[in-house]
Amino acid sequence: MNSETLNTLDSLSKNKYKYGFVTDIDADKPKKGLNEDIIKFISSKKNEPKWMLDWRLKAYSKWKKMKEPGWANLKFPKIDYQDIYYYSAPKGFDKKPKDLSEVDPKLIETYNKLGIPLEEQKVLAGVAVDVVFDSVSVATTYKGELEKLGIIFCSIGEAIQNHPDLIKKYLGSVIPPGDHSFSALNSAVFTDGSFVYIPEGVKCPMELSTYFRINAENTGQFERTLIIADKGSYVSYLEGCTAPKRDDNQLHAANVELIALEGAEIKYSTVQNWYPGDEEGKGGIYNFVTKRGLCAGKNSKISWTQVETGSAITWKYPSCILKGDNSIGEFYSVAITNNFQQADTGTKMTHIGKNTKSKIISKGISLGKSQNTYRGEVSFLRKADKARNYTQCDSLLVGNKCGAHTVPYIDSKNNTAVIEHEASTSKINEDQLYYCRQRGLSHEEAVSLIVNGFCKQVLQELPMEFAVEAQKLVSISLEGSVG
Amino acid sequence: MNIQDNYLKNKKNIFFSENKDIQTHRNKLINIFENDRFDKKNNESLKNINLKNFIDFKYKYLIPEETSVIKNNHENSYSIVSVNGQCSSFKDDKIEITKILDEDYNDFSKNDTIENNDHFVNLNSLFLNCGFKIVIKKNNNIKIKISNIITDDDLTIFQKNNYICEEGSSLNLIEEYENKNNSTSNILNVIKLERNSQLNHFLIQDNSPNHNLIITSHSSCKKDSTFTQKVYNFSEGYVRNFHYSELIEANSEADLQGIFFLKDNNTSNNKTFVKHLAEDCKSNQVYKGILNDRSKATYFSNTHVDQVAQKTEGYQLSKGILLSDNASYFSKPELKIYADDVKCSHGSTIGPIDENAIFYLRSRGMSKIAATKILISSFINEELNSIDNEQMSEMIQNKLVRYLSKVK
Repeated sequence: MNSETLNTLDSLSKNKYKYGFVTDIDADKPKKGLNEDIIKFISSKKNEPKWMLDWRLKAYSKWKKMKEPGWANLKFPKIDYQDIYYYSAPKGFDKKPKDLSEVDPKLIETYNKLGIPLEEQKVLAGVAVDVVFDSVSVATTYKGELEKLGIIFCSIGEAIQNHPDLIKKYLGSVIPPGDHSFSALNSAVFTDGSFVYIPEGVKCPMELSTYFRINAENTGQFERTLIIADKGSYVSYLEGCTAPKRDDNQLHAANVELIALEGAEIKYSTVQNWYPGDEEGKGGIYNFVTKRGLCAGKNSKISWTQVETGSAITWKYPSCILKGDNSIGEFYSVAITNNFQQADTGTKMTHIGKNTKSKIISKGISLGKSQNTYRGEVSFLRKADKARNYTQCDSLLVGNKCGAHTVPYIDSKNNTAVIEHEASTSKINEDQLYYCRQRGLSHEEAVSLIVNGFCKQVLQELPMEFAVEAQKLVSISLEGSVG
Repeated sequence: MNIQDNYLKNKKNIFFSENKDIQTHRNKLINIFENDRFDKKNNESLKNINLKNFIDFKYKYLIPEETSVIKNNHENSYSIVSVNGQCSSFKDDKIEITKILDEDYNDFSKNDTIENNDHFVNLNSLFLNCGFKIVIKKNNNIKIKISNIITDDDLTIFQKNNYICEEGSSLNLIEEYENKNNSTSNILNVIKLERNSQLNHFLIQDNSPNHNLIITSHSSCKKDSTFTQKVYNFSEGYVRNFHYSELIEANSEADLQGIFFLKDNNTSNNKTFVKHLAEDCKSNQVYKGILNDRSKATYFSNTHVDQVAQKTEGYQLSKGILLSDNASYFSKPELKIYADDVKCSHGSTIGPIDENAIFYLRSRGMSKIAATKILISSFINEELNSIDNEQMSEMIQNKLVRYLSKVK
């Protein structure tokens, strides 16, 4: 490797986190630690009915007996669950603001710094944004228009109040609270998140979107998102995350459940660029997320797209349970790790119904001293006749101190099902670099171009609004100034 | 009976039970057994296994009455019959065969490539009751054929063999496992290839339904050496093939291949693991399986590339054909890469026989069964064609024909 390459790598890996700032808002929070009182406190703060509290307490009792899942290729100090705040809401939010002018101007400023001008975005992009700022929904826009179509898009807290039937029926139906310790923890202490219900035959006219944001120090965020697409409906949901700079590791254990009934389609896209820690690997978010979709009806489809560039630790396996016949599951992922980041991400496709299809495209890029793992499971159960899977996972290594790992689990119990898996690992092709340089691109530009090309298959799956941000993020993660 | 009692009761029959160092190591192993929860989900060595049969077993070993035969057929070619895992000593100017020694055990017990929760390897170390050591002397080109024979029913053989290929030597090793009794053999082969040496290792496994065979091998390759291993598993009983290879010096190569043919209720577990610890090394792992009836198979492959192992080429391929509704195949091709200038890939496919290909053959007037048989043969044709030993090739062809005759 020549000295120029080394210089470029050096500049790439010393990239500063642009979104690191702290908004100074007094937070209303109880004592640190997890016990039944805290759960009762959260539940009463949210005016929840008794059945919800019982549900939380049941999950808590399960959590107490469980150990953290240990399969991931991650190294981190033990999480002290008693040293975390489980509830934090910006003050004065007991009464919700009716429109944006009532919202704390500092909060609006925060979003502006992040490049999410609420008012502008509303008009320009036609996106209804349900912003979550430390666990409480700040503003839900475009609600009226959605209501006309019968679409319910609100915070999960509101849904518990207003749509208890749907919550009782579907909450925890895809991710049971006792699934593993993080899902039990989330079920016990979740504070907010989004709830979406698309009625029969409705195509949601706009992309629904939520921006999560962790603000108060030492507050674990426990989001709970539930999306239900009734027969023949369609929805595309965007989730974006950016968090301010902190030294302590923050815990995030979200649960996302998707349910697609007969003929329904859900597209779920994520761009995650939480604080990854500094060059020495200090600080950063611990991101333990459980995402699971159930294709319950025939001909349903769930598609996950994710761009993961942030978090000190990413532990995330968006999965699909393909129960309905002819249902389709898709997973597109780009994971970029730099400095001391560790990512263990992938998917799980469980084929239960006949003629089910799934497709997995995963691209991992490791820089600096990071470790990037793809871990996925594809299983065909006995009755999954003619099921089909195609998996492709490619890894790119930049620098010789990082690691790229691929750990697929493939299980077939049906002799008419076909599964194909391929994976490759390599460094940036010298010939391609040479070609780009010859055409007058700088070294940085060339690397950026090649990496963007490497990820293109996934990035093009993102909705327009996200694609731009994601491309920017990929470039930022790689090289700082050159876009 | 628990492992410790079982061990203490049979201690006098077990190798090296007087040696203190070995005893300390064995106490550690006993501890592992006592503290392990036998987590079938996360322990690769336990997948698809009936624990009761293997962990809670009845120890029985007989020292054979007849000693093994070592024949020097003609120049450079030897045939050995190993009875109950024993082999008598032999020495000439090309090879040397002896019993395994305490130091061989200790040498191996320090190795950390094989996970310490691989209970079969641990059982082997604990209950070790036979084994031999073969040294191929410098710059010799040798052929050896070993037939493994077990004399009685219900024996538990725990065998450890050491193979050492000295500098510049070349060994063609054919091992046959064809047993018709209800015994269990747990064999660990430790293979060392010195500089510029070469080993072609063929394992032909064809046991009866109640015979269990557990083979683990660990090879380490020094500079410019090449290790090739080919496993042909036609057994009707349980077979486990776990093969580990370490490339410890530059420009060495490891090629681990296997094919297995399963039917009825049979199970086979397979694993290959290549650890690249030096520059410019190559590895290749290819396993193919045909599964019929209610058979089950697992295949774990793993390429580990250390930070210093630049210019590595590591390839993996796993292919499975399921012939029946009730067969199942699990595969987990893993890559762990810590160096950047590498070319590594893996591919894995599982599915039925290609319908279009069957259609093509049937439209040419062939019956469905004949078409299926042709396609199965062609699936593994590449492996069969690569055998350059005519006698062996014929033997494997015959076994394949026997397997195909049961396919409906």
